[in-house]
Amino acid sequence: MSLYTHILTQILITVVSVAGVFVLTGMTGMFSLGQAAFMAIGAYTSGILVTKLSLPVYVAWPAAVVLAVAVGFIVGLPTVRLRRDYISLVTLGFGEAITALLNRATAITGGASGLTGIPKITTLPMAIVSAVLVIALIMFFKRSKYGRQCIAVRSDELAAKSMGINVPKVKMIAFLISVAVTAYGGCLYAFYTAYVDPTLFGWKKSAEWVIMVFFGGVNSLTGSVLSTFVLSGLPEVLRFLQNYRAIIYAVLVLLIINFKPAGLLGEWELTPANVKRLIARSGQPKRTKEVD
Amino acid sequence: MQILQYIINGIALGSVYALISTGFSVIFNVLKFSNFSHGALMTLSAFVGYFIAASNGWGLVPTIIVAVITGCLVALFGELLAFRRILIRNTSPIYFFVSSITLGTLFEGIVVLKVGANFYNYPRFFGKPLHLGSLIISQSDIIIFCISAFALIVLAFVIQKTKLGRALRSVSFDRDTASLMGIDVTRTIQFAFIISGALAGLAGVFLGINYTLYPTLGSLVVKGFIASVIGGLGSLPGAIIGAMLLGIMETALISTIGSGYAPVFTFLIMLVFLLVRPRGIAGSNIQEKA
Repeated sequence: MSLYTHILTQILITVVSVAGVFVLTGMTGMFSLGQAAFMAIGAYTSGILVTKLSLPVYVAWPAAVVLAVAVGFIVGLPTVRLRRDYISLVTLGFGEAITALLNRATAITGGASGLTGIPKITTLPMAIVSAVLVIALIMFFKRSKYGRQCIAVRSDELAAKSMGINVPKVKMIAFLISVAVTAYGGCLYAFYTAYVDPTLFGWKKSAEWVIMVFFGGVNSLTGSVLSTFVLSGLPEVLRFLQNYRAIIYAVLVLLIINFKPAGLLGEWELTPANVKRLIARSGQPKRTKEVD
Repeated sequence: MQILQYIINGIALGSVYALISTGFSVIFNVLKFSNFSHGALMTLSAFVGYFIAASNGWGLVPTIIVAVITGCLVALFGELLAFRRILIRNTSPIYFFVSSITLGTLFEGIVVLKVGANFYNYPRFFGKPLHLGSLIISQSDIIIFCISAFALIVLAFVIQKTKLGRALRSVSFDRDTASLMGIDVTRTIQFAFIISGALAGLAGVFLGINYTLYPTLGSLVVKGFIASVIGGLGSLPGAIIGAMLLGIMETALISTIGSGYAPVFTFLIMLVFLLVRPRGIAGSNIQEKA
C-alpha cells in the first residue's frame, strides 16, 4: 500500500471522529475533552470481542458502539443539566480514568503494550464509504428538528429554554450521537492499524478535534471536513520541521481564532444551492466588501 | 493511626492541588471559561525554574522566585496573544476555550523544543523525614504545605482587602458595569492572569519536587479541575476545600487499591458528587447565564 493511500485512509477515519465532534461542539457548543476516550472504547471493545471472543465483526462493531453510548449516557447524565463548562471538565476526568483503566487491566486490554492481533479489515474504499455515510447522516441531523434545536441551544441556552426546548434532552441527544460516531471511528481505526495502545487516546487528541472543528468554521460541517484534511495533512507535509511542528500549528490556529473567529468557512455549507450562488457571484463584477 | 497518616499526606498533596485549582478558578471567575493552558503554564515555569536556578545550584527559594516570575510573565504574554482580541471583540466565550487549549499546545511545544522527551529532577532540597511516634512526615511535605498556605493567605488578603482585589471581584461580577464605574477592565484582567501565573509557577515547582520534571507534567492539572468541580466551579474557598478532600481521598485510594486505578475512582467520586450536589461544596452558579 502506498504512503498516500495510508495517509488518506487515516485522514478519513479522523473525518468520521471529527464529524462526531462537530455535532457536539459545532452545533451544540459543548466541548468534550474525553471524546478520544470514547474512540478508545469503540476500538478496544470491538478489538477484544473479535480477538479474544472470536465474534464476527458485524456483531462486534455494533456492540462496541452500543457500549460507548451506554457509557456516554452515564457520563452525560450529571452534566447536561449544568453549565457547559462542566462537560469539558468531567469528560477530561473521564478520559484520564479510561486511560488508567486501559493501562491497568492488562489481562484484557494488553496494558501499556497495547492490544495486538486485530485483523486488518478497514480499507480505503471502506473508509471513504464510512466517511460519506457519516457526513450524510450528520447533515440530515443538522436539518432535522433536533439539529435546529441544538443550534438554538448553542446560540442562547436561556432563550432556547423559554421557547420550550428541553435543553438537557437536546444536549444529551447531541452528546450521544457524537459518542456513537466517534466510537465507530474507533472501530475503523482499530481494524485499520491492527494495533491500539492507551497513549493514542489522550485528551490531546480530543483537543485536536475540537480545534479542527473551530478552524473550519463553527457551524459548517463542510468546514470541519476541510480543516480535518488541512490540519491532519499539515503535520505530514511539515514532517521535516520535527519539534517546531506543534508550535507552528498552535500559532496558526491562534491566528485564525483571533482574526477570523468564524473559522475558515463560517456557516457556509457545501450544498447545490450554495454552490450555484457562489458560481453566479463569481461571474458578476466585484461587489463592495461585506461587513462581517 | 493509619487514618491520621493518610490525612497528613493528603493535606500535603492537597495543598499543591489547591494552588492549581485556585489559579484556575481566578481566571474562571473573571472570564467565565476553563483555562486549559494552565497545566502547560505550570510545566513551562517549572522548567524555567529548573534551568535558571536549580541546575545552577541555587536553593529552593530562588527556584520558586524564578518560576513564579516566569509564570506571571508568560501568563501576561498568553493573555495578550490568545485572549485580548477575543475580549475586545466580545465574541462568544467559547472562543476563549479553544484559544486556551491552543495556547497550552504552544507552551508545551516550547518545552518539548528545549528538553525533548527527557526527564529531569530537581536537586534534593530537603533532609530526612521526621518520625513522630509511628507517623512519618517528610520535610518536603511540611515546607510545601507552609509555603502553599502562606501563598493562599496572601491571595485571600489581596482579593478581600485591597483595591485591586475589589476591582477584580467587581469585574468578575459584571464586566460592563465595572467598566462604567471607572475600573480599568483590561488592567484588572491582566492582574488576574498575573495571580494565576504566580500560582501556576509555584504549583509547577512543587509538582516537580513531588514527581519529576517532564514535558507533560501539566496534565496533572486535571486534579485541579476535579478539585474545583468538587468544591464548586469558580469559588476560591470551594477550590481549596475540594483540593484538600481530593488529596486525602487520593492518598487513601493509592495505598488501598494502588496508584493505577486511583484516577478511575477519583473520576467516579466526581461523577457521584455532581449527581448528588452539582453546586459543589461551596455552591456556585451552575446554570448558564443569559
